[in-house]
Amino acid sequence: MNELASILNIGLLQNTLRTATPVVLCALGCLMTDHVGMMNIGCDGMMLIGAFAAVMGSWLGGSWMTGLLLALAIGLILGLFYGVFVIKLKSDEFIIGVALNIFAGGVTTFLLRELTGQSGTFHAPEGNLSVLPRLNAAWLDNIPVIGQIFNNNTLLVYVSWILVLVCWVLLYRTPAGFWFRSAGEHPQSLRSAGKSPEKMKYIASVLCGMLACLSGAHLSMGYLTTFSENMSNSRGFIAVACVIFGRSNPPKVFLAALLFGFIDALGMRLQTFGISSALTSTFPYIGTVLMMVLLVWRNEQKKKKLAVSGLR
Amino acid sequence: MKKLLSLMLALALCLSAMIVPALAESDLAVAVVVAGTLGDRGFYDSSVEGLNQLVGDHGVASKVFECKEDASLYESSLYDAADTCNVVIAVGWQFWDYLATACAEYPEVKFIFIDNGLDGVGDNLMSIIYAQNEGSFLVGYIAAKLSKTGKIGVVGGEDAATINDFIVGYEAGAKYANPDVVVERQYAQTYEDPAKGKECALALYDGGCDIVFAVAGKTGEGVFEAAAETGNYAIGVDSDQKYINPDVILCSMVKQVGKSIYDVVADLDGKYQPGKIWTADMETGYIDVAYGTDDMVQQVSPELKAEVEALKAKIISGEIEVPTALN
Repeated sequence: MNELASILNIGLLQNTLRTATPVVLCALGCLMTDHVGMMNIGCDGMMLIGAFAAVMGSWLGGSWMTGLLLALAIGLILGLFYGVFVIKLKSDEFIIGVALNIFAGGVTTFLLRELTGQSGTFHAPEGNLSVLPRLNAAWLDNIPVIGQIFNNNTLLVYVSWILVLVCWVLLYRTPAGFWFRSAGEHPQSLRSAGKSPEKMKYIASVLCGMLACLSGAHLSMGYLTTFSENMSNSRGFIAVACVIFGRSNPPKVFLAALLFGFIDALGMRLQTFGISSALTSTFPYIGTVLMMVLLVWRNEQKKKKLAVSGLR
Repeated sequence: MKKLLSLMLALALCLSAMIVPALAESDLAVAVVVAGTLGDRGFYDSSVEGLNQLVGDHGVASKVFECKEDASLYESSLYDAADTCNVVIAVGWQFWDYLATACAEYPEVKFIFIDNGLDGVGDNLMSIIYAQNEGSFLVGYIAAKLSKTGKIGVVGGEDAATINDFIVGYEAGAKYANPDVVVERQYAQTYEDPAKGKECALALYDGGCDIVFAVAGKTGEGVFEAAAETGNYAIGVDSDQKYINPDVILCSMVKQVGKSIYDVVADLDGKYQPGKIWTADMETGYIDVAYGTDDMVQQVSPELKAEVEALKAKIISGEIEVPTALN
């Protein structure tokens, strides 16, 4: 019992939140492209490039704001790039996504070595890198648990929560969101309403690039304070899984990401019980597969219900 | 589309493969093939430092191959290296499965296997292993002496023999200093993800550990960040890593991979012993503890340093036998 308490503590919840945040930001971008029917699996690469751009921007510009701006600007370009290839040149979105992922690993490694002369991990030669500020509300500190979880996080953690809401409102409560979703579901009807599905797709793809790069910026300037080659470590793919599991609905995707973060954090703590680390590191992936099975099963149940109600 | 893809793949490949050719002054061409990526400021970087020193002092030609922990590259990189060089140094225990065939394929090339022992394979392979358990014993001793909570931790790259050799030595040293000390371990399952390393270390600090030994390559960078964030301490590995953050890194367990490579290759006729496993240990000076430079904050007191020196003498004389996870 005592040992159980040592696992189920605040540290576990904090860990969950920290692990989930980069995934949430990236998944918000990915779900935009999913809504318009061109899901981007190159999020992982975009995240990595965003992480690199943020650190370079912060280093060259001397402030975390320049880092954030550079990451967003690069995200915009990457999004446009993806859009041009998939929408205009009609390439397969999966191939472009894979290409983006491979390209990201190469280009960040190359540029890191060319621009800074360092390899592996970047460290600012003149000392500390300017990183995202941590937000602190003194009155929250007095509340146990809540204060420890919701206080002292880096800026983009709060931004990610706001963005979940903003994305949901945008997609499900505004006309623009309606056009957005119809661009993926039924582009002809959108066109007959006088709106261009292509335009919607471009917007989605640019938003995806910017959000994925934002998640990269969080990874390198918030979560950590350094850039390291391949640091995204497949978090973008977990984000894609969360988007599928949460059916591209921002709050549901957010919960999926939290669930993933929780499993990951729990798995790590179970190592102390003598469970092999090789096994615990598979937990997030087993979790992902289970989530997918659950999703399919739920869909089947729904279909059956519909069929029954149709008979009546 | 196909053209575009192949173009992009080719581009990515060109960008990833960073091969540095050097001027050849001697007829020796030495290749270092590392299993991971350079920039770990430890193990792999140290081997390349050794190579660069060889280039500077003896004018050998040099090449560096990085496998980026991609198992499909291990074999082909060894072959690429053997095609163009006459001494090939495989850095990383991961090459275990591929060296026997590579040695048979290239009988005229001299292979050196770093960090794992293969004996009885061909007459062109020498293995160098390191007594990392001895150095880890010393840092374990320091950690147990400085710990206020009586609980210390270690973050390992993965559950493999070489990494466990560090951990076993660390635990033995800690218990030697204080039999009641608790040593907790976490495996990050990656050498390349500092974020994961940070989480592992935070979980340990959260559980009451106040000193964590990072044995995980680049993943260890996250351990140092976690230490700084929580106001605890960490211990570096492979090189003298104190400079990364002198305020939180107490000391480092040094494994002089570069020096061992340099010494063997600079004196191939005398020191290259094919078919043998050479253990670079504390006695020969390849394993040690480093405390950074004097202008850095020193958390380890001179008295404790003297105790460590006494322990070192005991390990060298064989009075203390440090347990090992190898074999």
